[in-house]
Amino acid sequence: MDDVIYKSDGDNIRLVEKMRVRKFFEDLRDKMHFELIVDAGFDQRYFNQRDLHRPGLALAGFVELFTHEKIQILGNTENYYLLSLSEEDRKKSLDKVFQFPMPCIIITNSNKVLPEMKTLCQKHNVPLLVTNFSSTDAIHLISAYLDEVFAPEISMHGSMVDVYGIGMLLTGKSGIGKSEIALDLVERGHRLVADDTVKISRLSETILMARGHDTLKHFIEIRGVGILDVREMFGIRAVRLQKRLEVQVDLQLWDGKEEYERLGLDEEMVDILDVRIPSIKLPIYPGKNITVIAEAIALNLLLKIYGYDAAKEFSAKLMQEIQNKDTKSKKSNIYLERDFE
Amino acid sequence: MIEREIIVSNKAGIHARPAALLVKTASKFDSDVFFSCDGTEVNAKSIMSVMMLAAAMGSAVKIKIEGSDEEEAMNALIALFESKFNEE
Repeated sequence: MDDVIYKSDGDNIRLVEKMRVRKFFEDLRDKMHFELIVDAGFDQRYFNQRDLHRPGLALAGFVELFTHEKIQILGNTENYYLLSLSEEDRKKSLDKVFQFPMPCIIITNSNKVLPEMKTLCQKHNVPLLVTNFSSTDAIHLISAYLDEVFAPEISMHGSMVDVYGIGMLLTGKSGIGKSEIALDLVERGHRLVADDTVKISRLSETILMARGHDTLKHFIEIRGVGILDVREMFGIRAVRLQKRLEVQVDLQLWDGKEEYERLGLDEEMVDILDVRIPSIKLPIYPGKNITVIAEAIALNLLLKIYGYDAAKEFSAKLMQEIQNKDTKSKKSNIYLERDFE
Repeated sequence: MIEREIIVSNKAGIHARPAALLVKTASKFDSDVFFSCDGTEVNAKSIMSVMMLAAAMGSAVKIKIEGSDEEEAMNALIALFESKFNEE
């Protein structure tokens, strides 16, 4: 069996169903300074929970609703509690907890491993690790890793570019010129994240992260030319490995019947993995400089993030002008009468 | 060529959203469409121009249309003015 088992949730979405404990250990060994105490069950045990659990209540004897299928973190509290018990009570407490299958136990603060604990782990095939991090830090670091592992992922056809720090996904039919625009943007100093296939994962309720495919790296296909290596051609500053996805630009062949946004007062949105981001439908035709428009989209989005919305400002000014039209136009007429510039 | 004059009857006048509606409607037709107000004539298919008119409630807007589908275009635009652009 593989280290990571995936399941598909329809719609091309890929989810991690479960992960082998050995893989978890190997990925985090250096970061977490893990010391391996018991490796029994390392290969057989899988876990499917992104949350961690501190089994304080379970050790105290309350095992109803004990979420034993999560990775268990034993901090100072749990450790001192166990030490405070008589040998007999400690055995009882641990036996009760070890009735349940657990994927892995992690002892924090480099606390000394109780011999009974080690024996029980070996007997029940529960891997046991020690880290020198405090419980708070350990939970924080491991959760960040698990959030990423269990993030739902989707593959989209398009080009992903960092334009002035805004993560822009160019989409549109095959052959419409996504790669060419990406190349043009790179030429102007922006950074390519991925071309053709973009992997997008949901890191939190509001954050989408886009990255390229491992084999495609920063290669790009330009019709009529063939395959180019953007990193080799333009250097390291022209590429990046991942970028938060912030706006979709959907390229479409100009169609006189289609209605395009004229004001920008209403932002059209698209849901990707249930995260809502602005989506701009951009008609293209020969002679139109999409690269410059892509830059303008990024800059306008930055202005909005910083609190200035050009369409709203203009609209408000126009409203005001309509309301004061009579008085204002008379005043400016008197002024302009004497203006011979 | 046909011409008609109509009074802006919505409270807020031709601000951004009504202007966008007018331009979208005018752009559906092949005919050339012009609006004029207070002696300024603008192309009705250009949003910035239409907004520049800043036509307030009560202003008279002259619609001038020339082309193969001028009748349909005129009817559509008049209907839009009369609907007060779905506003007050």
